[in-house]
Amino acid sequence: MHIDRLERNYLIAVALVLGVFFAALIAGALVFGVRLPTATAFVNPLALADTQFANPGLRDLGDGKYEAVIVAGMWRFQVGTNEFSETGHEIMRVPVNSQVTFNITSRDITHGFMIEFHNANMEIVPGQVARQTVTFRRPGEYHVQCHEYCGRDHANMFFTIIVEDAAA
Amino acid sequence: MQAVSPAPKSEANILTFPRLGMLSSERALIGAHILVALLAISIGLLLGPAQAYRRAPALQWEIPVFSYYYQALTLHGVLNALVFTTFFIVGFSYFVVQRSLQRALASVTVGWIAWVLMFIGVVLAGFAMLTGQANVLYTFYAPMLAHWTFYLGLALVIVGSWVAGGNIFVTYMMWRRANPGKAVPLAVFATVANFIMWISASLGVAIEVLTMLLPLSLGIVQTTDPQVSRILFWFFGHPLVYFWLLPAYTSWYTMMPIQFKVPVFSDTLARVAFIMIMIISIPIGVHHLFVDPGVSEVAKVMHSLLTFVVSVPSFLTAFNIAATLERAGRARGGTGLLGWMLKLEWGNPVMVSQVLGMMMFIIGGVTGLMNASFTLNIALHNTTWVPGHFHTTLAGGVFMTYMGILYWMLPIMRGRKLFSRPLATAQAYTWFIGMLLFGISMGRAGLEGAARRTDVGSAQVISEYWAPWLNVTAIAGTILLISVVLLFIVVIGTWFFSKGDPEDPAPITTVAPSGAPLWTERWSLWIALIVISNVVMWGPVLLEGLNFVNGFWSVGYPMN
Repeated sequence: MHIDRLERNYLIAVALVLGVFFAALIAGALVFGVRLPTATAFVNPLALADTQFANPGLRDLGDGKYEAVIVAGMWRFQVGTNEFSETGHEIMRVPVNSQVTFNITSRDITHGFMIEFHNANMEIVPGQVARQTVTFRRPGEYHVQCHEYCGRDHANMFFTIIVEDAAA
Repeated sequence: MQAVSPAPKSEANILTFPRLGMLSSERALIGAHILVALLAISIGLLLGPAQAYRRAPALQWEIPVFSYYYQALTLHGVLNALVFTTFFIVGFSYFVVQRSLQRALASVTVGWIAWVLMFIGVVLAGFAMLTGQANVLYTFYAPMLAHWTFYLGLALVIVGSWVAGGNIFVTYMMWRRANPGKAVPLAVFATVANFIMWISASLGVAIEVLTMLLPLSLGIVQTTDPQVSRILFWFFGHPLVYFWLLPAYTSWYTMMPIQFKVPVFSDTLARVAFIMIMIISIPIGVHHLFVDPGVSEVAKVMHSLLTFVVSVPSFLTAFNIAATLERAGRARGGTGLLGWMLKLEWGNPVMVSQVLGMMMFIIGGVTGLMNASFTLNIALHNTTWVPGHFHTTLAGGVFMTYMGILYWMLPIMRGRKLFSRPLATAQAYTWFIGMLLFGISMGRAGLEGAARRTDVGSAQVISEYWAPWLNVTAIAGTILLISVVLLFIVVIGTWFFSKGDPEDPAPITTVAPSGAPLWTERWSLWIALIVISNVVMWGPVLLEGLNFVNGFWSVGYPMN
């Protein structure tokens, strides 16, 4: 098979560039800990009362580590808090530099979970437990949006995470 | 390498298939496909700018006629991405195969049966969508539930396209038997590869629709599994975009060289590119499921890696086509490193639409590699970045190429002159500017955290970070609306009113260059590789997603 010299050199360059990109991704996952959700556990969306999702909320595990149990449903996130914003949406407060592992499932249809400006992005699929760990390094208010279309009020399915400065 | 001839050489060919017209049987069948494609997209295109106006925080206008945002979004996706593409591709593929092989389809009757199946499918799905009983978007993720006519309709479109593909395979095999030892023309090679890929891939969505969603919507079964349905959908979902892309590549590789009167740089590597895409476009679909909870990280990394590999045939295409265009520019007296580009035909709508489409497709390819980067995807998934990306590929490279094809094919079909070359050229330029602006502003809004598929018009909270960029999409939408009006004028004008004879011949060659390698036509080997690669890459994903102990747990939720 005849391949032009220029085209062969070009192909080698393409392979090298793609190789470097992919190596960077592997390094990002293994060295810098940017991880994707992985298959964890099945859960019955119609019988959440029998599981850890019966009591959504934020639990302090010590050492700056937290576990958040959240149930998504049309069209709100149950985060187990008693604090609400002006629009009636939940507010979750965490201290700065805390490392929060989110455990989320859905009680009805597929939802999404995305914290603005953080490495937190998951599909919340009924029947599956979605898990991701996020470290909150900067104080501030962050919008958490459902990003998977889930019906009429999908645009208003959100809650707020407030990262509080330890000094305050 | 032998130069590709600008038109069929022998008199007999010209008598069989007129260069500037169509046989009546050919005209009716192919024309029926193009007509449905154009009717579908005329609604789909108009909904685009309306959605941009609805999503721009500065406007938040109601969408005309379809006041419910997600109904309009479902129509936009299904009509543009599923109906327009499938009908256009089948019609175009018939044309390419008949002309290149200089023989009629194996069976025109079967061709009509396929069309009727697909058309009934569109009517059924259209009924569900127009009556607001299928507000599930074009990905229809379970356990959202649409009216059963929506699922049956989509299944019929797919089954009809299989019948069409079968017709093309038989036509090719009849030619193969009559022409031992001869390589098939590249355009037919690409068409056969495209339908092998399409039929393999659409098995996934056919299983999803026929065994899960249709029975659920009819009440035959009560439960389903959203993760399994997502896995089956994305088995199909990525090769779907290659199904749209390969006809565009066919035009770039086999028709533009004829239109520019230069040979393609490398016919052999074009075949290699088509083979690679046919095989590797399916076992990569988990890159749509990077943040799904029910798919293991290992599978995600593997599919990410293969997605990088499937970019190689597109890199090959970029080189091959750019080299071919450079030949064309230099043959026209262009000089210098980039000076040859000025000599391309920048006032010819057929060429402008395709070359600008290619340029936008480069952006689409690069942003696609970013999406395919499994960890980077966390920052991009389901943000407006994603529609920003696929509007530069589908609405850029693919759609602009299809319009470039339409601008020579429609005059031949109708036996009329293209209604207005200047307006058609203006359509291409305005589309390019508008879609480029749309892609950039959607991408930037996504990086600032704007979610896709979200009715911003009804949102209680608007972020100051992404609001300005969504306002820019409204400007882009306005430019695109102008382009759509120009398109309507040109198409309606050419269909009904234009005077004079068509000017551009069908840019189709009937011979492969001498030395075109025959080994590329070992289809059974390629099919075996498709089967093996998908058992290896998708088998574990499906087994992991299935809950063997408890079966399906989710009930359906109608989205009325």
